[in-house]
Amino acid sequence: MNAFLLEYLPIVIFSGIAIVLGAAFLLAPMVLAPSNPDPEKTSAYECGFNPFEDARLKFDVRFYLVSILFIIFDLEVAFLFPWAVSLMDLPEAAQRFAFWSMMVFLGVLTVGFIYEWKKGALEWE
Amino acid sequence: MIPASSLAEALGLAAPELILAVSAMLILVGGAFGGRGSSGVASLSAVAALIGAAVAAAWGDQGVAFRGGFIADDMAAFAKAAIYAASAVAVVLGERWLGRAGNAQFEFPVLILIAALGMGMMASAGDLIHLYVGVELHSLALYVLAAFQRDDARSSEAGLKYFVLGALSSGLLLYGASLIYGFAGSVRFDDIARATAALEGEGTGVLFGLVFVICGLAFKVSAAPFHMWTPDVYEGAPLPMVAFFTTAPKMAALVVLARLLYEGFPEAVDQWRQVVLIVALISMAVGAFAGLAQRNLKRLLAYSSISNMGYALLAISAGTAGGIEGLLIFMVLYMVDSLGLFACLIAANRAGRSMENIGDFSGLSRVNMPLAVTVTVLALSIAGIPPMAGFWAKYFFAFQPAIEAGLWGPAAFGLLTGVVAAFYYLRLVKTIWFDPAPGEADVPPLDAKLIAYASAIWAFPVFYVVVSLIEPYAAQAGRSLGLS
Amino acid sequence: MSSQAATPARSGSVLTGLLIAAGVLSLVLLLGVAVYFLFSSIPEAFWNSPAGWVAVTTGQILAFVVVLLLSLAFLLYADRKIWAGVQLRKGPNVVGPFGLLQSFADFLKFALKEVVIPAGSDKAVFLLAPFITFLLAFIAWAVIPVAPGWVVSDLNVGILYLFAVSSLGVYGIIMGGWASNSKYAFLGSLRSAAQMVSYEVSIGFVIITVILLAGTMNLSGIVENQRGWFWDWHVFGGGLAGLPLTLVMLPMAVIFFVSFLAETNRPPFDLPEAESELVAGYAVEYGSTPYLLFQIGEYANIVLMCCLYTILFFGGWHPGFPTGAENWPPVLASMFGFGVFAIKTVFVFFLVSIAKAIVPRYRYDQLMRLGWKVFLPTSLVAVIAMAAYRVFGPEIA
Repeated sequence: MNAFLLEYLPIVIFSGIAIVLGAAFLLAPMVLAPSNPDPEKTSAYECGFNPFEDARLKFDVRFYLVSILFIIFDLEVAFLFPWAVSLMDLPEAAQRFAFWSMMVFLGVLTVGFIYEWKKGALEWE
Repeated sequence: MIPASSLAEALGLAAPELILAVSAMLILVGGAFGGRGSSGVASLSAVAALIGAAVAAAWGDQGVAFRGGFIADDMAAFAKAAIYAASAVAVVLGERWLGRAGNAQFEFPVLILIAALGMGMMASAGDLIHLYVGVELHSLALYVLAAFQRDDARSSEAGLKYFVLGALSSGLLLYGASLIYGFAGSVRFDDIARATAALEGEGTGVLFGLVFVICGLAFKVSAAPFHMWTPDVYEGAPLPMVAFFTTAPKMAALVVLARLLYEGFPEAVDQWRQVVLIVALISMAVGAFAGLAQRNLKRLLAYSSISNMGYALLAISAGTAGGIEGLLIFMVLYMVDSLGLFACLIAANRAGRSMENIGDFSGLSRVNMPLAVTVTVLALSIAGIPPMAGFWAKYFFAFQPAIEAGLWGPAAFGLLTGVVAAFYYLRLVKTIWFDPAPGEADVPPLDAKLIAYASAIWAFPVFYVVVSLIEPYAAQAGRSLGLS
Repeated sequence: MSSQAATPARSGSVLTGLLIAAGVLSLVLLLGVAVYFLFSSIPEAFWNSPAGWVAVTTGQILAFVVVLLLSLAFLLYADRKIWAGVQLRKGPNVVGPFGLLQSFADFLKFALKEVVIPAGSDKAVFLLAPFITFLLAFIAWAVIPVAPGWVVSDLNVGILYLFAVSSLGVYGIIMGGWASNSKYAFLGSLRSAAQMVSYEVSIGFVIITVILLAGTMNLSGIVENQRGWFWDWHVFGGGLAGLPLTLVMLPMAVIFFVSFLAETNRPPFDLPEAESELVAGYAVEYGSTPYLLFQIGEYANIVLMCCLYTILFFGGWHPGFPTGAENWPPVLASMFGFGVFAIKTVFVFFLVSIAKAIVPRYRYDQLMRLGWKVFLPTSLVAVIAMAAYRVFGPEIA
């Protein structure tokens, strides 16, 4: 295995330990604690009423809009990461080129941002 | 082709794309600040940008830019000019139509501009990356356009269907592209050609990938057996959007397919010709026979476009410079006929409702003579009845190169399906002239009427003049791929 | 408080505390001696083999996890004490001296409670959700360097890894809210997801400004870039030549602080679990250890963000003046670095606690507006300004 992948091995071990720990936490009360469920106890909480319909409701489309916007901007950030790391390693001329090309990219995204702002996609009343 | 020596030069070669991209963004921001009232100005600027881009494409410099990814040659220039012109007509038709439907929005011209940008990219693509980016850019804009009447259930359904199936075809395309890249070791068409030539008969993997790419692009041009989305989308989407769908995107996809096949796989003509021919023959047959059963004119025109894509693919399968020339002129003539027919559909209304079924057209000659004549001329033209433009398009520009390349059988088959398809156009003509009229037709809107008349006049007789003017350019474009 | 200190009960608890501390200390010493003798009997060659390497790594990770869990327990206690102090209450003061062992008592209580799984819930997802939250909150810690050389995995893309893992964190909450099949839980999880992703974006942009300064995504590298005086810290522009960048980096530090409060659902941005409107948000149906896992995950995330804040802006383990610690014995230098790092992190955590105690809760529309309309444009402009300064401005050492 090469050294690059070897760096990730501790993370695998770490996740293994976290999995064991989490599973132990989850299992502990099943061993230690009593368990006698009844219908009242296992019904969903609804301020003392019986739940009268399924809880998986239709929800506001704005949540969906936010998630779409998040994908766009998070991708933008993901593009910026490698650029930011290598920007200062470039020679002078290439550095300027890299700077301006990223500015063009950010400019295009800003146009979209202005559009969504003006269209009210960011409003929550 | 001369590679661009500097960034400035490379950007100069991409001037049409830059014009479209920058104006799309400016219109978007301007519209966002201007609000709903700005759609007229937005459309005007979009038309201006499209004309500017067409001029830049037709008279701009030629060369190769961005490490071979972007090719500005005669074929790209010809295709782009046609695509941008069709887009400009679609902007005009759509702006007025949406205005009448109470849904005039400045996003519409922006979407058309973005679609035109993507299609221009496709026409100029010199590698698989540019090809894919162009395909996606224009497709995404088209999905939104199909669902533009978002309060209309049929329009939303059309948009969703188009999106889902289009995503599938993009997947096919990408899968094929990655296979080609994996086996050839490059995404550039000329490198792929060199690599496949060196493979010497061991290129099964590359051809496998090529078949997938052909399927993906066949999806975009709605060639059978990848046509399933076409009738549904055409039926549901707003009329001017369909007019746009039937014209510019097909031109772009066919041009990029031709470039990929001719530049990327010149050695493997015999192999890909089989695939393209099969797709072409099935398209002709499906378009002709399935069209017979249609009562809805939008569905009928969908099948008509499927069969016409079969003819266009027949021209590509010739594998010669003449094939490219034939393809380009055929597509231009088809685009004019198609735009004209859809303009007629927009123009023909009764009691505020569009005449969508063939039966609605009965007796049109008695209530609106000019429109009846226009529809007749265009229908006869697209059916391929002499002396209309469509006749020459089909038999001279689509079949001739195929026959010259020795593809007698397919050409004869095309002739046969052409006769079958002519039946449903003739039925429409018969309905217009010989059936009784159920009532008065509405006064046609000016823009649709003018565009319909103009394309009818083009189909006969203006075409005879124009075609001799554009033919040299098309011939030059055909030679630009370095074929005999 | 002062009148309490003299009572016999209080002195009694101090005595108990001392006794417990002495007991724990001697236990640790005994264990250490036993472990030493155990390990000294293993031949040297074993430690150089892959299996030995895995054993050592596992041991280190175990030690790390134990220290982490203990610190979380005491930080949770500190959080409650600070909150209580601001409100002139006493806070937890019964279990152990000054209530120090409260968190452990809570843990035992959680472990002894019945796990109630709602009848209408999706049972597998219901239990998987807290588990995922816990797992993600933990594995994020793998790349945090707490002292020179003290890091589980010194990834060269450490901060990208953190960014990725913290993005996944939203899954646990969405799954928990959905699986509960309760309206409060569902609404709470939706709110929470929208809130977390909204602030994730500005956190990303702030991190970009730091990367532009440091030129690396490796967290140890980012800390090393801030070696020297306190003006070498990134919050002051990473060096004297970059001092004008304070104008960019100071607001960025503020934005990062506020964003990580929102990202971890801390007050004043605790809308997902706003008890007065949504009872407890996504966790309303949870009890026993599943709830505990959510809670540990949340606190692990908060403390992780405190560490990250220290690393990105305030010099990590560098105390802000040259110490010559490079020339010390490595163990001593690491211990010193860890101490400095811990003090800074605890101070940041103190700020988080104080924010909880003194700032009223935001309204949801205010929250979204702050994220999308203030932080996002500001941090975007900051990225541009920072890049421009780096490309066209003077060299920063």
